[in-house]
Amino acid sequence: MKVLVTGAAGQLAVLLARRLAARGDQLTGIDARPLPRGQTFPGDFLQARYTQRRVDEAFRRVRPDVLVHLGRVRTAEVSSFSQRYTQNVLGTRRLLDLARRYEVRRVVVLSTFHVYGAHQHNHLHLTEDDPLRASQLFPELADAVELDHAATNFLWRYRRVETVVLRPVNIVGPTLNNFITRLLRARRCPYFVGYDPMLQFVHEDDVARALELAADAGKFGVFNVAGEGVVSWSHAIRLAGGDPLPVPHVLAYPLVGALARLRLGVPKHLMDYFRYPVIVTDARFREEFGYAPARTTVETLAAVGRSAPPPGQT
Amino acid sequence: MTSPLRALADWFSPPLAPEVTAALREVAQTNSAGFDPWGLHPETAERALRSARWLYERYFRVRTHGIERVPPAGRVMLVPNHSGQLPFDGLLVALAMVLEAKPPRFVRGMVERWFPSLPFISTLFTRCGQVVGDPENCRDLLLRDQTILVFPEGVRGTGKTYFHRYELQSFGTGFIRLALETRTPVVPIAVVGCEETYPSLYNIDWLARLLGVPYVPVTPFFPLLGPLGAVPLPVQVELCFGPARRWDLDPDAPDAEVQVLVDEVKAEITRMTREVIARRPDLQLPGLLPGVPA
Repeated sequence: MKVLVTGAAGQLAVLLARRLAARGDQLTGIDARPLPRGQTFPGDFLQARYTQRRVDEAFRRVRPDVLVHLGRVRTAEVSSFSQRYTQNVLGTRRLLDLARRYEVRRVVVLSTFHVYGAHQHNHLHLTEDDPLRASQLFPELADAVELDHAATNFLWRYRRVETVVLRPVNIVGPTLNNFITRLLRARRCPYFVGYDPMLQFVHEDDVARALELAADAGKFGVFNVAGEGVVSWSHAIRLAGGDPLPVPHVLAYPLVGALARLRLGVPKHLMDYFRYPVIVTDARFREEFGYAPARTTVETLAAVGRSAPPPGQT
Repeated sequence: MTSPLRALADWFSPPLAPEVTAALREVAQTNSAGFDPWGLHPETAERALRSARWLYERYFRVRTHGIERVPPAGRVMLVPNHSGQLPFDGLLVALAMVLEAKPPRFVRGMVERWFPSLPFISTLFTRCGQVVGDPENCRDLLLRDQTILVFPEGVRGTGKTYFHRYELQSFGTGFIRLALETRTPVVPIAVVGCEETYPSLYNIDWLARLLGVPYVPVTPFFPLLGPLGAVPLPVQVELCFGPARRWDLDPDAPDAEVQVLVDEVKAEITRMTREVIARRPDLQLPGLLPGVPA
């Protein structure tokens, strides 16, 4: 099977690629970022933006059977909204268009649970049918929501391509270097005084497994992907080996807002996710794909803890 | 903490019996981190219930009738009348289900939608198993065999003045539809006494609108005595559990047919309330002194 993976310079792509390469799949990786020093991609690697023509050429040359799109850029990486919009929304649409044109059989798109939005009126155990409130609540997340919409539209419109959209909860793990993992690795980790919402975490290996299942499935649909269970933020900090640091949100919001204006890559729109619960159910994914997380919540969080080896990132 | 203090605390609020704790833990669907799917943390909940125990046993001197009528296993919907400005009635029903029900169980109260915005309280309530009263949450809890507590009157019940005590306000039909859909037995409960904990004389509507809260009551003590006036009167409380009701009706039946069942529940609550009131003195304000048995 020929698999084209985007976001290939990221750790999650490497985890997935290693799994696929081990069973003999032929891999091509694309990313706008260069590969971090000391990291190799198990297959061909092309450094290009998804809107560039070189990506078209890669599709023509490789003729992939499967496209796995992990290439959503986060606020922490690209703080300019317009740049993020171009890469995430226009880039995704371009990739999907190419997938259709070059008759890719299956497409897997990694979205995020953030699209549901942190709102105090959310019910618990959100299903895939619940409204995506994030763009209404946090304009900074509009690109993530629109990426999700682009993928689901594609899913229903071009039924000859088997498309799976995954909306995982907070992905954490020893090799990742995303916002939540960096927070959990801190010795003293902030939480908002008086607010200690439930969160869900899923281990990087479980997500890699979920992506593999989706790439193999021959099914289509939108699915939440979660770990074993819920845990409060302060418990999560302790399980990761840190100390919760109480911060009054009335001070934190303006402060983080100021830092965000300085383009320090602080995602201020994610703060509400530490005040109100956004709990999803992945019952549908478990049922249709036979998915079950291999790690418990405690194991998952212990694996990111300070004691874990530092990430192999630059 | 010194040992005499601990002894005093234990005398005042004795810890839950080990068999109660064991029974509660056995049914709790907790994960490796100790939380259940809705955020209940049994250890925290047990500590909170334990510290509220003196309220139940010594302050409100709760007497229960017919608690054995609550089905011992499976999903259950508890439906009491709602009264008394602050939801002490919910707390007392939840305590009754832990301290007196066989087997004991955690009650999942359906709380107001604005609760998650309250700091501290929202966290504590979630740890204690309370869930925002959204129909989706309700259905989800019932399908996984939880005991849920619904106040169909909502703030209409708690916010009424003393002159309307023991008058049931309108019930919605949503709770019955959910019970029909999930085939859940409904246990009507009459709470007598909570109505008198805060004898509200008047609601300051403009202030409530200004503060964004459902109501601001005026009682003989509040706001006159400030925070002290917010202490509930130590009224003796009785909880009457009616027979569990199960119906065979299409959950999508027209409102008129569902309303018949709603009225049946309301009638049962009214009947039980009248029965208790008839055999206890009408608790007028001057008679309410701490420690004086009603």
